[in-house]
Amino acid sequence: MSQEEREGVDRRTLLKAVGGAAATVSVAGCGGSQTESTETATQTGTETDTTEVDEDTGTPDEGDESTFEVGATLGQMDSGLDPHDHAETPTNIIVSQVYEGLMGRDKEGGIVAKLATEWERVESGTVRFTLRDGVTFHDGDPVTSEDVRYSIRRVETEEVGGALPQDGDLAGGKTLENVEAGDGEVTVTFGGLNPIVFSLFATNGQVMQQSWVESNENSFINRNTNGTGPFQVTDYQSGTSVSYERYEDYWGEPAAAEGATITASSESATRVNQLIAGETDIVTNVPPQEISRVEGSEATSVDPVPSTRIIFLQMRYDVEPFSSQQFRQAMNYAVDVQSIIDNVLQGFGEITGQPTLSQFTGHNPEVDPYGHDPERAEQLVEESGHAGVDITLQAPIGRYLKDVEIAQTAANQIDSLSNVNCELQQREFNSLVQDVTASNIEDRPRFNLLGWGNAEFDAAQTIGPLLTSDGPLTILKNDEVDALIEEAQGDSDPDAREQTLQECNQVLHDLAPWVFLHQQFSVYGTSNDVEWQPRPDELIDLWTASPN
Amino acid sequence: MSLGRLAIKRSLQGVGVIWGVITVVFALRFVTPGSVINAVAPLDASQETRQAIAAELGLDQPIYVQYVQYLADLVQGNMGYSYVKGLEVTQMVFQRVPATVELAVAATVVAIVLSIPLGVLSATRRNSPVDYGATLFSLGGISTPNFWLGVMLILLFAVQFDVFQTSGRGVTSVAVVTSLVGPEPFVATLLEWLSYITLPAIALGTYFVALITRLTRSGMLDELGKSYVRAARAKGAPESLVRYKHALRNTLIPVITVLGLQLGTLIGGAVITEAVFAWPGLGTLVIQSINLRDWPALQGSLIVIGTAFVIVNIVVDIIYGYLDPRVVYD
Repeated sequence: MSQEEREGVDRRTLLKAVGGAAATVSVAGCGGSQTESTETATQTGTETDTTEVDEDTGTPDEGDESTFEVGATLGQMDSGLDPHDHAETPTNIIVSQVYEGLMGRDKEGGIVAKLATEWERVESGTVRFTLRDGVTFHDGDPVTSEDVRYSIRRVETEEVGGALPQDGDLAGGKTLENVEAGDGEVTVTFGGLNPIVFSLFATNGQVMQQSWVESNENSFINRNTNGTGPFQVTDYQSGTSVSYERYEDYWGEPAAAEGATITASSESATRVNQLIAGETDIVTNVPPQEISRVEGSEATSVDPVPSTRIIFLQMRYDVEPFSSQQFRQAMNYAVDVQSIIDNVLQGFGEITGQPTLSQFTGHNPEVDPYGHDPERAEQLVEESGHAGVDITLQAPIGRYLKDVEIAQTAANQIDSLSNVNCELQQREFNSLVQDVTASNIEDRPRFNLLGWGNAEFDAAQTIGPLLTSDGPLTILKNDEVDALIEEAQGDSDPDAREQTLQECNQVLHDLAPWVFLHQQFSVYGTSNDVEWQPRPDELIDLWTASPN
Repeated sequence: MSLGRLAIKRSLQGVGVIWGVITVVFALRFVTPGSVINAVAPLDASQETRQAIAAELGLDQPIYVQYVQYLADLVQGNMGYSYVKGLEVTQMVFQRVPATVELAVAATVVAIVLSIPLGVLSATRRNSPVDYGATLFSLGGISTPNFWLGVMLILLFAVQFDVFQTSGRGVTSVAVVTSLVGPEPFVATLLEWLSYITLPAIALGTYFVALITRLTRSGMLDELGKSYVRAARAKGAPESLVRYKHALRNTLIPVITVLGLQLGTLIGGAVITEAVFAWPGLGTLVIQSINLRDWPALQGSLIVIGTAFVIVNIVVDIIYGYLDPRVVYD
């Protein structure tokens, strides 16, 4: 048989096979009525549910009732499982199930003991932590003071951990001088007084096992875990899902759930669909337009909680017209914040009048929001000498809850003043941040919307970076504010420090470097089958979830 | 030109195209506003921290040095290191490929199952209500954005009727196959797999159903009017033989070509469908990487998608030449 003939036969054979396959699927396609496919699909859903439970528990059906597993769906997955090598909330949520610090926070943001049972300030710049006995890493090894020492140094010392984004999160602007590992205790010395050191340790500085970190590559540490927390990771699919099982030798009260899963969907509608369909128990960031769907379902509820994030319009002090305090105050009177909260955010927000939220150390309860008073705003603009000025508000797209709508409303309200023209410029967040974080204040935006999360619950952690002369993001240079913050940061007496910070907040209210907008709410959707309370710091503590 | 030479020629052209893709994607990083440092460092990071991170990631090097280094790494199969995730990009990307391929193949199967019978029916019953219905369906399918269709399918079949899963992947097709020999029950595993993949496959495949229905219809009409069909009928061949053995087989040649090319499109074009269904494929990785400014991961994803497209095109070219000996390549 010639080559040509063989090719001919092969071609025919192939065509026959393709044709046969097509005919088969055609017949199948013709034969399968809609009813049949729906029936199959119905069986699919039922079988899947049953099978899932059986597979997960590994027990027959009768054992299902004793099994409780909880699932959460975020808007975005983690950026790796290294608890020190990230700086955003989704990763924090995912690693917090596994890793713990010396101290932690309760549902209200109060400081609680974790791997340290006691802590004290032994000298101005020195603090000592007494470690909890009997704590083990998930691989079974005990937690040692050397591990704690290493973890603190890994965060704060570039020679140990490299240039990690959490650099400075424990030292609070001071340098880390020394970490001494003793018998059941660790002593940390900073280059000066760190007045909020315990607040910083309650939020940051998860403890990792030194030998485990040193013997593994970064990429391994970002895909695997070895913490001390109530859950340990059983399966990690980067960018897709993390599965946990309860750590049975946990030092504290064990989690009610035997297992947990965290997944993500960037589409809020998809998250809500998952919740309503019973595929997950907790979803984050339910937008206002989806609230009615979640509330309308008998199986789900909306759980809002004030977050630690404040939203504001910042105005650069060194350029006209924002160099005028009167003009800045006018902008505050021009924007109807309560209306924005009621109409744009459907009530999920709290009006502010100072940079510090009401739950934080240093909040001044005597300071009231500016209130909406367009006539007063116009009068102040006249007095500032900037009547007829044109300004542009820059706002990020999709970074904060309803940020575009908030900025549009604020810009419209300012523009409706008879003597100010305001335009809105929407910008992609990363591009805006590029300018906001510019090293020179002259290169930063003149007027822009920004949000700021403060997981340490302390006024200085907002005012310091954003509103003092040395702050990396500052748009204000004011000697009085600088002096008050410096005084607060050098004060070891908590009451005196609180008073100083309150005074600083009053000064900042009057200076009005921001149009004070609102405290953002975190809006969760939860399954009625699960008992779980959200927290202000945006963490999702799945170990506190229990069957309802 | 022999098939072997054709394959070599097309492969060399493909390498050129892939190099172009790599270069364009690499250059995009430098013309897009915003810095990758902002995705890694917290907002209040000092300039010193930012510079240290940039130095650690090699971003302080001149662009041409970064480019040459990237190409050199790529040749060795190393797509770099994700700044944001702290993971090897090669691992991240190839972990996603099976999900994307699975969805693309499933969508193609949906397209074949629905479109070829519909196209045949439409052609053989020309100007009948069936033909009008199929034409209307095709028009609807081509006109419907698949993200909208996806949302509607979820609301109807997953939320309202609770028949399918709203999103996610669940078990893999590999798990379905291994359940044939493993301890897992095959039927249950298969049904679970179907509960996840059906809706995204329909959403993604509908456009192609419409396209291929029209292609099959016109192809069949063309073939049925040819003289060899008249000859077959004249010699008394049964109508089913004439239609399905002769006319349909010849119609399938362009259909297979289009299906192959669409498979390449599906691999790269499922981004929106994957986002709607939270399907953990390359499309979702692309979206995540864009949002996080994770350029190495984005580059890796786009290179793989581009390469897949080029390979599919080459394979289709070769198969087409193999199937139809009348095709002559210069």
